Amino acid sequence: MNKLIKAIDERLKITELYNKYLAGYMVPENLNFWYSMGSVLLVMFSIQIITGILLLMYYIPSVEKAFESVTFITNKVPMGWLIRRVHAVAANLFVFVLFLHMFSTLIMGSYKKPREIHWITGFLLFGLVLVEALSGYLLPWSQLSYWATTVATNFPGAFPFIGDWLVYLIRGGEKVTQLTLGRFFSVHVSLVPFTIFILIAIHIFVMRRTGISYPPGTDETKIKKIPFFPHFVLEDLKVIYLFLALMFVIVFFFPQFVLPKDALIPADPLSTPEHIKPEWYFLANYQFLKLIPNEFLGIFLQMIIALLIFLLPFIDRTPERRIWKRPVFFTIVVLGIIFYIILTVWGYIS
Amino acid sequence: MDEKNKRRSFLKNLALWIIGGTTALFASPIFFYLLPKKEKKKLNLFTDANGNPIPENAVEEGSYKIGLSEEGPTIVIRREGSLFAFSAVCTHLGCIVKWLPEREEFLCPCHAGRFDANGAVISGPPPAPLKRYSVEITPEGLIVLS
Repeated sequence: MNKLIKAIDERLKITELYNKYLAGYMVPENLNFWYSMGSVLLVMFSIQIITGILLLMYYIPSVEKAFESVTFITNKVPMGWLIRRVHAVAANLFVFVLFLHMFSTLIMGSYKKPREIHWITGFLLFGLVLVEALSGYLLPWSQLSYWATTVATNFPGAFPFIGDWLVYLIRGGEKVTQLTLGRFFSVHVSLVPFTIFILIAIHIFVMRRTGISYPPGTDETKIKKIPFFPHFVLEDLKVIYLFLALMFVIVFFFPQFVLPKDALIPADPLSTPEHIKPEWYFLANYQFLKLIPNEFLGIFLQMIIALLIFLLPFIDRTPERRIWKRPVFFTIVVLGIIFYIILTVWGYIS
Repeated sequence: MDEKNKRRSFLKNLALWIIGGTTALFASPIFFYLLPKKEKKKLNLFTDANGNPIPENAVEEGSYKIGLSEEGPTIVIRREGSLFAFSAVCTHLGCIVKWLPEREEFLCPCHAGRFDANGAVISGPPPAPLKRYSVEITPEGLIVLS
């Protein structure tokens, strides 16, 4: 075996790559918990790809068969219930950890020069993950998926002139039908995952080119460095296991969090269930739209906020990264997060 | 081995065991998921194309019925009061054979392969006899093949 490995290495120089990019890649020793969020996201993405491929083996993207096929996976296929629950829970955790990742980047000012491209690709990834979550929501063709999608795909209709056309384009028709399911399925299993994969590759590439950011306030000339592998990878693993534990607690003890009652009833286009609400990560946007009397104005304001966040590295150009030296920015971020949490809770209980 | 190396190798082994255990833990449900559940052995009923069982009294003396069994297209004939069942698939190129009661033989319409009442080849290109099944009748009068 050793001989074979040696022979392969002699030809492909794998050890050289390992020494250069893993063991020889030095990172600051004071990287904290928040620096492991990227690795947790990579693990969540891998879980989604693996469980997604497994679900695809039995899922049928047809309005007559979709719910039946998902029920079959849950009740008949060995371990099918587990694969499905893990897919649903990991999707929610994926969004949650993305929030944490972006939050820590904001607080630590890691989006600043020379890491503007990291922020831009990260923001695009965030948007794509939300599209992925929304498109996957429809696939089981349950009451929850059908009506949540009907409501969500109605919003673009508020745009003047092109609103109706946009809704028609997204749904593939006037209403949510087989045509909608077909395009959501295609977007969910091919278009968006591939794009996410490419953007992750770019995100990691630019991160390696600029090097990982130092925690704010670190004296770069004095700080000791540690090898990325195995030292920092082990630190990453601790955080990854923490989130895996959280995932399995929800999978085994609180599955109703991701699969409520309406998710267990087949879609009925003639009967809307009571209190239909979007997933938790869209609740703030949903409540915001309810508060603004004009629907278009509500969407427009949210787009402006998203654009400002997207362009943040070009708006906030001061090199200072320590949060206690940026009181105005800190206040805006904290107020923004409090506002977001209030809207989310309000949307949940209203 | 000095103290530092002992500790290092212990930690290395611990990490490998944890990662290996996690991989095995993740791989086992996937393995079972990929392995289709074995269905409980059902009666191999003789049915029509829609899966409805054909009762034994539907096959009259001297006549035949073509239907389905677990193994595919099947032909059941009645001769001298008894039922006989064969695979209806010609062993030449897979066409469906017919029963000719007046000649008491099977004929494949594709290349005129002929089989006697026991399924043996009489003439034509078929390389092997028709597969024969034993027939049982359930208390409800349904035809079970094995």
